[in-house]
Amino acid sequence: MNLKEVLHIVGALLVWVAVAMVPPSVMAVFDDLTIPWAVTTLGTALTGGLLWWFTPREVSINTREGIAIVGLGWLVVVAAGALPFIATGVAPTVAGAVFESVSGFTTTGATIYAAIEDLPRSILLWRSITHWLGGMGIIVLGVAILPLLGMGGAQLFRAEAPGIPSDRLRPRIASTARLLWGVYALFTAVLAIIYLVLGMSPFDAVNHAMSCLATGGFSTRTASLGAFGASVQWVTVFFMLAAGTNFTLHYRWLTGRWLVYFKDYEWRWYAAIGLIAAALCFVALGLASGDWDASVRPAVFNVTAILTTTGFATADFALWPAVCQVVLLGLMFMGAMGGSTGGGFKVVRAAVVAKHTLGEIKKILHPRAVVVTKIGTRAVRSEVLHNVLAFLALYGMTHGIGTIIIAALGNDLVTSFSASLAAMSSIGPGLGAVGPASHYGDLGTAAHVVLSVLMLLGRLEFYTLLVLVIPSTWQRAGGDQ
Amino acid sequence: MHIVVVGAGEVGYHVAERLSSQKHDVVVVDVEPKRLEYVANHLDVAVVEGSGTSTGVLEEAGIRSAGLLLAVTNVDEVNLVSCMSARGMPGVFKVARCSNPDFYRDARNLKPDAFGVDMLINPEGELALETMRLLHSTAATDIAVFAGGAVQLLGFTVKSEAPIAGRRLVDIASEEGDRPLLTVAIEREGETLVPDGATKIVAGDHVYVAATEAEIPRALELLGYEAAPIRRVMITGGSTEAFYLAKLLTQHRVQVTMLVAERQRAQELAEKLNKVLVLHGDATDVELLELEGVSGADGFVALSDADETNILSSLVAKHAGVKRVITLVNKKDYVPLASRIGLDAAVSPRLSAANAILRYVRRGTVTRVATFKGSDAEAIAFEITSASPVAGKRLAEAAFPKGSIVAAIVRGTEVVVPRGDDVLQPGDTTIVFVLPDAVADVTALFPS
Repeated sequence: MNLKEVLHIVGALLVWVAVAMVPPSVMAVFDDLTIPWAVTTLGTALTGGLLWWFTPREVSINTREGIAIVGLGWLVVVAAGALPFIATGVAPTVAGAVFESVSGFTTTGATIYAAIEDLPRSILLWRSITHWLGGMGIIVLGVAILPLLGMGGAQLFRAEAPGIPSDRLRPRIASTARLLWGVYALFTAVLAIIYLVLGMSPFDAVNHAMSCLATGGFSTRTASLGAFGASVQWVTVFFMLAAGTNFTLHYRWLTGRWLVYFKDYEWRWYAAIGLIAAALCFVALGLASGDWDASVRPAVFNVTAILTTTGFATADFALWPAVCQVVLLGLMFMGAMGGSTGGGFKVVRAAVVAKHTLGEIKKILHPRAVVVTKIGTRAVRSEVLHNVLAFLALYGMTHGIGTIIIAALGNDLVTSFSASLAAMSSIGPGLGAVGPASHYGDLGTAAHVVLSVLMLLGRLEFYTLLVLVIPSTWQRAGGDQ
Repeated sequence: MHIVVVGAGEVGYHVAERLSSQKHDVVVVDVEPKRLEYVANHLDVAVVEGSGTSTGVLEEAGIRSAGLLLAVTNVDEVNLVSCMSARGMPGVFKVARCSNPDFYRDARNLKPDAFGVDMLINPEGELALETMRLLHSTAATDIAVFAGGAVQLLGFTVKSEAPIAGRRLVDIASEEGDRPLLTVAIEREGETLVPDGATKIVAGDHVYVAATEAEIPRALELLGYEAAPIRRVMITGGSTEAFYLAKLLTQHRVQVTMLVAERQRAQELAEKLNKVLVLHGDATDVELLELEGVSGADGFVALSDADETNILSSLVAKHAGVKRVITLVNKKDYVPLASRIGLDAAVSPRLSAANAILRYVRRGTVTRVATFKGSDAEAIAFEITSASPVAGKRLAEAAFPKGSIVAAIVRGTEVVVPRGDDVLQPGDTTIVFVLPDAVADVTALFPS
């Protein structure tokens, strides 16, 4: 492992973050926060530039370097992302600032702020930008734009956007990354324009469009999407579903293959699970309130927000009937499709686990049966299957440990359980004391640190970060292979 | 006609035998001298040693004067390249055997001039299709389908409790009225005879019957059988034929259990096939067969590569009470044995391949040829052109030679069961059942 080479790329990433800080810095003029923003932006740019300048240009990325760049890169980026919160003085603690930054980049959307409208507009914009960069992946963006990442791009791509390998859109990874970012940017622009047409202010439109396509969850309003009308909410439901869909499908759809969604195995599961969950919540809400008409939109909107791991809210689902809360917890765990901007365990992995389990039952009935786990008509290779099962175990264990720590810090069971799950699956709001009507501000420094770690683990799907703490990663190549 | 056959394996041998007995000049090409020697000793054909993919070898085999090239080795690529090597030869109709499912599907999209292939045949696929039809027609031992399934020729063994046993054909016809049970041939004590009205049906006879899909239940009844639906089928063996059959059956919503002896192949089939329960185990493992509910299966098909294993597992299935047991038999000598030891029907890859190939040998007015296992008779579909001497004539006047019988007339979508006063019109397709001696005379009635 060549740390200098890794730092070279990390330096370049920091310069990118500084570039992303420019729009809020301009915005800061109206907030009277010009000085802190200018210092932060220039400081980040300078640090990045120096790192980049004083490290070797020749970079050869293999698997180890790839993982280290993504892992280390993310740690440095979220640290830089926390700087504006500290410099402008809106963060009560450093841990709080880091929590907000991590929540942004991992597209979680959990916030420490009780009253969003009180925050400066430059900070609001920065929160949405962190979402947008983190959604499709800041490293994937690097692979798309920076030519020097071309060679080892595939390693980076895999480390930042893992999951089950899907087909590349183009033979070259940089072209694939560019297409995915292109589709992502296009959809964001389209949604922003639709919001404008529906009467949102330009500022609200841009922020919500970025947050929605990244499946983030930060809003410019305390009431989240509840502050807007029915038409805005329905449009948001549609685009949340799109953001939770594999973006390669979108590209294929844009190139004229209109039925590509219905032909995709994972998408059919995703759609079916969403429909069933929404129907369940609708019936439960309707029975509880007796007002069926008023139950449709909240049920559909909030189920979609959780399924896609966006975390917008139009109702306080922490007060919904218990059955709805359990359904939502299930969706929080499963998450969106692989290859989307959403988080969670991923629909395709859930499908693999379900199929594999059915196969094991079949083996009990037919001891000599040769059982092959299939996704659609394609057989899942046993390495992939083992990876998925190990991932399930990691997910469960990490969630368990997270729950224990949050509970040990003095929180109740529902809060601890849902907060750690909502953090890992990049949802945002949980249940109990961290429900959609509440916030994460009162949990304390320790909880903020633990949840930040969970968010990063969940977003990078464990392996990338866990590998960083294994000593052999840092040994020189040629040591142990 | 001069015919070059590339490949002296099971398929090549049988095709050469068939063609040579029909007075064609056949040259067999193979790389293996031992196999060629066997062919030369048993058949009246010439042999050339060498690879069929080489133009020189093909020329030595007389490809320049040949009308037909049959590339039927068990390697698809060799067959395709052989056709390619003969591309420049004028007037040679080139047939390639292609067994790999993927290859077959792709190769069909190739333009004929890419490989020079005029016709692709898939014997394993044909066998699977035949097996499925046999499963569905309950009691038939043979089946040949004409005019896209409108007419079927089925072979049955007459049971002693059959209502028609011991009766003359004229009497049966008068009772059945409009739609008599048309018996086109009877196989009795190893002899095939074409019956007339006075012929008596005897229990134990093997009869060939022409019927439309709708008439099959009545035909079964008259022969002493009951119709039974097929819902669950057990297949043993991991051959290509087994793969095709499992795929076909699942498409027809039949529940399939497969028993494959080789672990690797079982895994491969489990990956390729959907909705099929693939088991790793021996086909003759009685305990396993019982555990997997062989007695509850509606059909049992033994399709492994070894005849002995197939016969043994079929006997186990029959003993367990499976209604329909179909056995793959490679060795010619075992075919008549199969029915004698109580197996319902036998299929042979050799015959399926021969059927597929012979169908295209006599082009022109011939649209389809079928052969049958126990007999050398063939069923041939001819299209009647105005040039034919039988066109416009009543059936009784048309001079069909002895040893042949018109089994059905297909007019558009209508199927006519032929009587003496039916008129043969140009554009009709006639299905004629022919004994080997009469093939040449019958073919002469239908000039192209």
